Amino acid sequence: MTDTVLELSNVTKRFGAFTAVDHLSFSLSRGRILGFLGPNGAGKTTTLRMMLGILPPDEGTMSILGQDISMVRERIGYLPEERGLYKRMRADAAIAYIATLKGMKRTDALARARQLLASFGLEEWARVRIEGLSKGMAQKVQLLAAVAHDPEFVILDEPFSGLDPVNQSEIEVFIRQQAAAGKTILFSTHTMQHAERLCDGIVVIAKGRKLFDGTLDGARALFPRRARVGAAEDLSFLRNVPGVLGAMPPCNGQPNWTLEMSEGSDGRAVLAACFDKGVPLTHFDLAPPSLHDIFVSLVEKAA
Amino acid sequence: MRRTFLISRQEFIKYVTRRGFFISILMFPLWIALIVLVPQWTSTAPQRIFTIVDRAGGYREAILDALAREDDRRELIALENYAAANADAERLRRASPRLVEILDSPESEGSLKSFRALGGWRAALSEVSPWLKPGTKPFQPPEPRFVFVAPPARLERAQNFDVSVRPFLEGGRFYAAILIPRDFGSGARQTAQYYVRDQPDRDLRAFVTDALSDALHRNVLRRLSPNPADTEALAATAELESHVPTRAGGQSGRNETFDAFVPIALALILFIVSVMNASVLLQGVVEEKSSRMIEVLLSCATPREITSGKLIGIIAVALVTITIWAMVLFALMAMAEASTVSLVFGAMRSLATVETLPLLLLYFFCGLLIYGSIFLAIGSMANSLADAQALLGPAMLILMLPNVMISGIMRDPNGELASLISWVPFYTPFFMMLRIASHPPLLQLWGTTLLTVATTVFLIWWTGRVFANHVLTTERPPSLTSLVARRARTFTRRQQ
Repeated sequence: MTDTVLELSNVTKRFGAFTAVDHLSFSLSRGRILGFLGPNGAGKTTTLRMMLGILPPDEGTMSILGQDISMVRERIGYLPEERGLYKRMRADAAIAYIATLKGMKRTDALARARQLLASFGLEEWARVRIEGLSKGMAQKVQLLAAVAHDPEFVILDEPFSGLDPVNQSEIEVFIRQQAAAGKTILFSTHTMQHAERLCDGIVVIAKGRKLFDGTLDGARALFPRRARVGAAEDLSFLRNVPGVLGAMPPCNGQPNWTLEMSEGSDGRAVLAACFDKGVPLTHFDLAPPSLHDIFVSLVEKAA
Repeated sequence: MRRTFLISRQEFIKYVTRRGFFISILMFPLWIALIVLVPQWTSTAPQRIFTIVDRAGGYREAILDALAREDDRRELIALENYAAANADAERLRRASPRLVEILDSPESEGSLKSFRALGGWRAALSEVSPWLKPGTKPFQPPEPRFVFVAPPARLERAQNFDVSVRPFLEGGRFYAAILIPRDFGSGARQTAQYYVRDQPDRDLRAFVTDALSDALHRNVLRRLSPNPADTEALAATAELESHVPTRAGGQSGRNETFDAFVPIALALILFIVSVMNASVLLQGVVEEKSSRMIEVLLSCATPREITSGKLIGIIAVALVTITIWAMVLFALMAMAEASTVSLVFGAMRSLATVETLPLLLLYFFCGLLIYGSIFLAIGSMANSLADAQALLGPAMLILMLPNVMISGIMRDPNGELASLISWVPFYTPFFMMLRIASHPPLLQLWGTTLLTVATTVFLIWWTGRVFANHVLTTERPPSLTSLVARRARTFTRRQQ
């Protein structure tokens, strides 16, 4: 059994003169959760469609589970960004239909659908048509349809979009359960909190090009840590403190000064400088850059 | 293959469980029933009472004689229907062969004469009655369509007929009055006056015209030959009696009208079923595109598996539709007139022989697949029903062309027009269904059939490609020029 579930090598997709995906390469190992991040229009959905064999790449190669997609279609689960279910189908039948298309026997698929619905507390809704379900319920049904056939590799396109925080948490728990069960998961999102909590690795793309590919720690290491310092006085003198790369005054609702720190610096020099100047501090914290900050920086650089 | 089957099964269930499917499936037989029944209802009403003032002499009697014949003719037809529905045909044939001969061709002049000579409906009914099935309702002769009343004396003597007749017409004493002037039939004067209360009843007018014309002819014939037998012989109308010998040497129960009608009906049913179901298919694809269900399907199956599944599903829906239509139509026919069912079956048996049935089925499936593929391709190129409608308009104009050509083709099924149009693959299934009973030349039969099969296979393949290329795009549907340009670019690239 190959350990690399997904491998893209210089994959390019063009629509007329527009290049949606531009020489994209990355890979994903078995059992990991990969966040596929990018702003709207970055080429995430096009890449996912190429992974699923829905769109052929114009250039480059792609292998899934060590083979061509046409050979492993039944071993993949897919949740599209916009929910695709027949409105007049009943919830259990909708899940079972996708599972049968993925190779399950109809009776097994129906039993599995009911079991999964029950595990989400939706057993009472099993015989209700999709059009009679709330958005959150329909989303869960769609997610269950993507995994009912017990795929090895699950692709989720924006699984949290349009859901309230409670439903988002439930989906997050479900994704963790799937990963714990040994499935490899790739999900696209532009909501960084979910990626930060769930992913082992991230790939960031913008305008069809890869901006980053690695672990979250690897991404953080690329960017300086930030210290936030609160005080009534002007703190621009901190720019001259060793270990401080830059200082930004409070702005855009951010009440504190933001200091970019060099690698290895721990903030003691900043605190000492403030003490020497007799500046009373109202706030001090030193944290690694958030994924949100990393994402914004990467995308802004690429723009 | 398994995925194709699953998709076709889902398509079938999706369409046949819709309320609209049941409504549309019942609407067609209802529509046909209305087409058949409405003229019957309108022909039963109303009864017309009329009078005749005959100043020339002899014409009133001629009209009344024609009236009696018309009443007898209608009674004979009613009795024939009554006997066909309620009598034991075999025993009646053995007991009253002469009567059965009359009833077998109720429209012929000879049968009418024999019927009148037998003593009319009462005498004929007494021969039929012993062989009626138990519980049969008594025979009700039809009400006379036209009833004569003697003219009031005031009207007979009226100098100013226009003024005198008006109160009688307006008072409703009679519906029409016919004034035959004194000089009617002498020389060039052959015009009688027809007075009517409102819009003239065309049936009564035609009946009186025929009766007066017949009387005029007989007067001339009588002057030429005083022998009444000569007059009868000269006034007689020639009749052609249809016979279709069977291989066993007897007569088949076929009827020329039905033999001509059945191929047209089959071709029309093919067209209606194709367009109806293909439209549903188109709508389904547009819905799947807008709900992104198509993306889920594409992650499970190849475009070709999806399009094949959809086409097979729609064929299954079409077969169910036709079966239900046939059942409902035959039930309606049996209720209206039992003999029609056997005539339609006879015509279908003669059309669908061992040699032609496989071809008819092939035409039917090819027709469905051709129309279905075109509609499916349109659906995959459209982003909304409005887009689809815009593309569908020109396609429908082309596909509907056969309907306007039916009468021309049926007049000369092996003529130049029929031979030429049968080579257009989109129309071949439709026209060859119409022509197959007329034994088209073998080259045309097999040539067009092969062309249709090839076209069908090509269209299924082409639809898979169009579906794969367009079903996930959200651009506007490609224009014809852009399609041609794209083809040209691909060709140039291949040449390089």
